Amino acid sequence: MEEARLPMSKAKRDRRSKLTSFLFVLPYLAMFLAFLFFPLVYGIYISLNDYNLLSKEHPFIGFANYTRIFNPDSAMNALFFEGLWNTIKFVVFSVPLLVIIGLALALLLNSLPGRIRGLFRTIYFIPYAISVSVISIIFLWILDTNSGLLNNFLMSLGFDPVPWLTRQPFAWISLVGATVWWTLGFNMIIFINALNEVPEDLYEASSIDGASAWQKFIHITLPSIRPIMLFVVITSTIASFNVYGQPYLMTRGGPGDSTEVLLMGIVDLAFEQRELGMASAMALLMSLIMIGVSIVQFKISNRNQEGRKAR
Amino acid sequence: MKRTKTWLGIFFTCLLTFVLAACNGNSGVVDNEGGDSGEKEGSGDSSEITLWAPFSGPDGPYMKEIVDGYNDSQDEYTVNFQIVPQTEYYKNVDLAINGESNMPDLLVMHGDQIFTYAEKDVLRSLNDLMGEEITEDEYHPNGIEGASVDGEIYGVPLDIHPLLFYWNKDMFKEAGLNPEQPPANREEFIEYAQALTDKDNNQYGYVVPTLWPQEFIFPTIVNQNGGELYKDGEVQFTSDAVVEALEFEKSLIEEYEVSPKDVQQDGEVTLFLQGKSGMHMNGPWMLEQWEESGINYGVAPVPQLGTEQEGVYANSHNFVIPKSGNEEKLDAITNFLSYVGDNALAWAESGQAPASKAVYESEEFQEVNDQSPQVAKQFDYVTFAPDVENWGQATSPLMEAVNEALLGQKDVKEALEEAQQKASQALEE
Repeated sequence: MEEARLPMSKAKRDRRSKLTSFLFVLPYLAMFLAFLFFPLVYGIYISLNDYNLLSKEHPFIGFANYTRIFNPDSAMNALFFEGLWNTIKFVVFSVPLLVIIGLALALLLNSLPGRIRGLFRTIYFIPYAISVSVISIIFLWILDTNSGLLNNFLMSLGFDPVPWLTRQPFAWISLVGATVWWTLGFNMIIFINALNEVPEDLYEASSIDGASAWQKFIHITLPSIRPIMLFVVITSTIASFNVYGQPYLMTRGGPGDSTEVLLMGIVDLAFEQRELGMASAMALLMSLIMIGVSIVQFKISNRNQEGRKAR
Repeated sequence: MKRTKTWLGIFFTCLLTFVLAACNGNSGVVDNEGGDSGEKEGSGDSSEITLWAPFSGPDGPYMKEIVDGYNDSQDEYTVNFQIVPQTEYYKNVDLAINGESNMPDLLVMHGDQIFTYAEKDVLRSLNDLMGEEITEDEYHPNGIEGASVDGEIYGVPLDIHPLLFYWNKDMFKEAGLNPEQPPANREEFIEYAQALTDKDNNQYGYVVPTLWPQEFIFPTIVNQNGGELYKDGEVQFTSDAVVEALEFEKSLIEEYEVSPKDVQQDGEVTLFLQGKSGMHMNGPWMLEQWEESGINYGVAPVPQLGTEQEGVYANSHNFVIPKSGNEEKLDAITNFLSYVGDNALAWAESGQAPASKAVYESEEFQEVNDQSPQVAKQFDYVTFAPDVENWGQATSPLMEAVNEALLGQKDVKEALEEAQQKASQALEE
């Protein structure tokens, strides 16, 4: 008791609190180093080698893997950029839907009475907890051109069967639809929490001023949840960039190679062709692109906020 | 109220953890002996050998039966059998080779993989082992050929698994066809298919897949046309035999209309299981699914759908020995392989046909089930994947072309020319 009251020198106290903070961070840091940082550095190293998993020697070749990716005459060039283009298409189609429908569902659930709200929140969240292989099998059965549930239904109404997974643009519609149904719950939960954080008195004040529901949404809700919105947009973008299971299991990259996303090419290269060097180079380029996109999203959001403040 | 909420929270967290954990559950090695594999591997004891196999499907227990039978039959040697899940199999093999640790003493390898591993010099040539306990003539010559590269034998064949032909006997009866008589050639095939098709009832003669297992079907028809996908160091995707094969498959959909359009992944299997597809082609591994579905089906060699000759595309399972292995264990390995050669009847029960003459020429084999003898009937004219490095990279453009042409989204010649160009580029690098 007596000791604790002794005044510590400021420097000592600082050092001590820094040490405590560091101890708190340590477990995370250890995990980060072991499972993220080290593999990343090792991946960079592998990408600079001609690394075939079965070869005894893995000669250092500098940036040759990267120059092959950017050489238009190389098969690797087509593999990378066609895959990247298909991935970008998926990101562009899925992210707006994941964000807008997620927010809409959150708003809808928040206006429900308490008890039912919890029930529906659980119902909408459950698909997120199911693995991608199960989701894909469910949708394969629903969407089957000739014997699927959906087409049976459409045909009984007198429509022609729709080639959901074998023709564009239906293949993209199906993949995006399945993804939205699968992962929507996560965004919804985050939005619900964000909506609960918006101070109630702002709504009350605006009601007194005679604001409509739409005006409240635009001028109070959206600005209040902006940081969460940014988080959801960035995490959804990253998740969509990493799309693999749905096209791999549902369309096998078809029709033709139109839904062959970049990760499918990289995984094939790494584990079927055993070309770990080239696969690592592609994976690193892909992460650089993802980091770039996230930074741009961050910048745009910040600029908007500053613009708003200035006004 | 508050309490139930907390418990609900805990419950769902547990559920979530369980589901997530289950997703990652099927990786790694399953040790069938129940002991810890780490200690057994690499032990200096030359009487104990480790065997890896990708038989994580219904075929696993049959192989286990053979290994158990061997272990019980003598006291000198012990085989420690480990199943590695099929999807993880070559990943595990590659990592073991790469790290030069935890290598099994003996492993099962598909015929189409042997070339790649032999080229990388990681497989032991078995030529010097042939002649005493195991000899070449104990196996079907095509089995030995499928496990050889340039005259060097790298594998002892377990089975050969070609494409098979299945038909729905009930549908044959209804269409006025003889339910015990599968078609023998292209003319009969088309004639039967037309008789079986009843579009108004969503019923078809033969549903043409647009994806897997075209990897088996398409090369089969090309071979029957007298063609080859790879010859004289070049891919032959624009040769007449290849073009004709694709045009024939396409005509089943568009000209004869015995197949629905826009068949998706596994769509042809679903329709066959539902009794809405009269004829079907797939590998021997489908036996379990057909049996479970309860359809009244028959099985036969693939009819001659090509214009020139009998032929069928096949793959195989072979026992191979890694080059880095312990030479002192060779006695145990040859002793075990010789036992398998004589006692592989259990493997036939899985619907496969062992490549060992002692089995497929025996009377018991003819009665083991309906399927395996039909598999063995095709042994004499099977064709395997060509011995080319990166053949996988050459076939994927071909399968894309087949997919687009059969979906009616690209002209046959145009699609094949594009595939030819992509595949040549991939093989050049």
